[in-house]
Amino acid sequence: MADEDRIWKCAKCDRRLEKRKTVFSYLGHTVAHQVYACPGCGNVFIPEELAEGRMSEIEQQMEDK
Amino acid sequence: MTESVRNTYSVCPVCLRRLPAAIVKRRRDYFLEKVCPEHGGFSTVVWRGDHPRFELWGDYTPPVESEDMRPDCPNDCGLCPGHLQKTCCVVVEVTERCNVACPFCFAWSKQASEDPPVAQLAEWFRRLVEGGNTFVQLSGGEPTVREDLPEIIAAAQAAGCENIQLNTNGVRIAEEGNYMKALADAGLSNVFLQFDGTDDGIYEKLRGRRLFAEKKAAIEACSVARVGVTLVPTVVPGVNDQNIGDMTDFGFLHSPAVRGIHFQPVSYFGRCPQPHGDQDRITLPEVLQALERQTGGKVRISDFAPSGCEHPRCGFHADFLVMPEAVVRMTPRTETCSCSRDDGKAHLRKRSHIARRWRRTDPGGTEECPPGGGCPDMDAFLHRIQSRAFTLTAMAFQDAYTMDIERLRRCSLHVYRNGRTIPFCARYLTPAIP
Repeated sequence: MADEDRIWKCAKCDRRLEKRKTVFSYLGHTVAHQVYACPGCGNVFIPEELAEGRMSEIEQQMEDK
Repeated sequence: MTESVRNTYSVCPVCLRRLPAAIVKRRRDYFLEKVCPEHGGFSTVVWRGDHPRFELWGDYTPPVESEDMRPDCPNDCGLCPGHLQKTCCVVVEVTERCNVACPFCFAWSKQASEDPPVAQLAEWFRRLVEGGNTFVQLSGGEPTVREDLPEIIAAAQAAGCENIQLNTNGVRIAEEGNYMKALADAGLSNVFLQFDGTDDGIYEKLRGRRLFAEKKAAIEACSVARVGVTLVPTVVPGVNDQNIGDMTDFGFLHSPAVRGIHFQPVSYFGRCPQPHGDQDRITLPEVLQALERQTGGKVRISDFAPSGCEHPRCGFHADFLVMPEAVVRMTPRTETCSCSRDDGKAHLRKRSHIARRWRRTDPGGTEECPPGGGCPDMDAFLHRIQSRAFTLTAMAFQDAYTMDIERLRRCSLHVYRNGRTIPFCARYLTPAIP
């Protein structure tokens, strides 16, 4: 089952994570994305598919890695 | 006062024999100097001014070698074991013929010669791919004079070439509807379009005829066929060096069809007028200064990094996002770009860069990122990068006056000829007419 489809809880607050529009800042650019975040402490969860997919592709495009 | 900066080797411009040479600094300019026992002394400007500084442009140190270890460069080219960089791209000359008689022609195109048949080219492509050389540039002469160019492109693709670039003056692409589509359908990846400026007076001087309308039509044809096009000006002082800003603005305006501009300061090889002196040359720092000054600071010298795959003094590069409201450097400039890491893979990173930047990769459609604002999601951000990325690069080819063997040994652009791959500047090295 993909990370996106699981139910996630914040270990610190014991609250279910909710999908929220989160703003990322990267090398002077801002981009929003819907990711799971804790409604209590605000910590964000980045699923493996996002990190190794779109985020990795953005990194390659921007930094020629 | 003359200060010696670097010792190297060069060639005599008249007889092309290998000579010890030195790069010296006089006031704020740098000169390559050598003495031929038969033809006397030669001094040619290779870097003007201190902005950016010659000594700080890249951090390459040549290997320490004894005289007997040093290769007999540029003789025995093809590549010799003493070559210090792997091949990024291979230039394959598919014809010597051309449809324009340019006063400046690095390849010295001529009309009376036989083209290699497609079957022979297909064998060359197979051999190149077997050797790991999968990025090819179809060049000449003018490749589009060949009626079977689509077959040649298809042969390159069938052989396993990952990237097939066409180096062209664009005249046939402009004049013949659906021609560009035929090349794209055959597997063409991207186009390098000879493009010397935005004024027909420039073309009349450099190419012998007015060509700006044809260049614009060629760009439009590439746009319709969704093949990325990079504009390639030969920069000649007194002809188009004051047009650098206009060329750049023109390029920005035609993004994403135009993927970038690849400036080539004039070199005196092939068919060309004989240079009278240093006033006939423009150096890399001057092109950078012109870019900053003539674009009103839209791009800055500090945005640019030295060539990474080749020797630092071979050129410069920077990536930008071109948006209606601003031109933004894509990443902060680092002193040493990742592409220049000396890990034996710089040529592969450069290939990735070519595939990512010079090909047309945008998905089409309207961008979702609002002007001046952040993007609503990562897919939209990726769309923006693919649609708006624009490269400004340069390659300072060498001639017999400016040849610096230290630079030649790091060359990654090689010409395939008679089963050998030869660094570009060695392949086209031309003696001066005494």
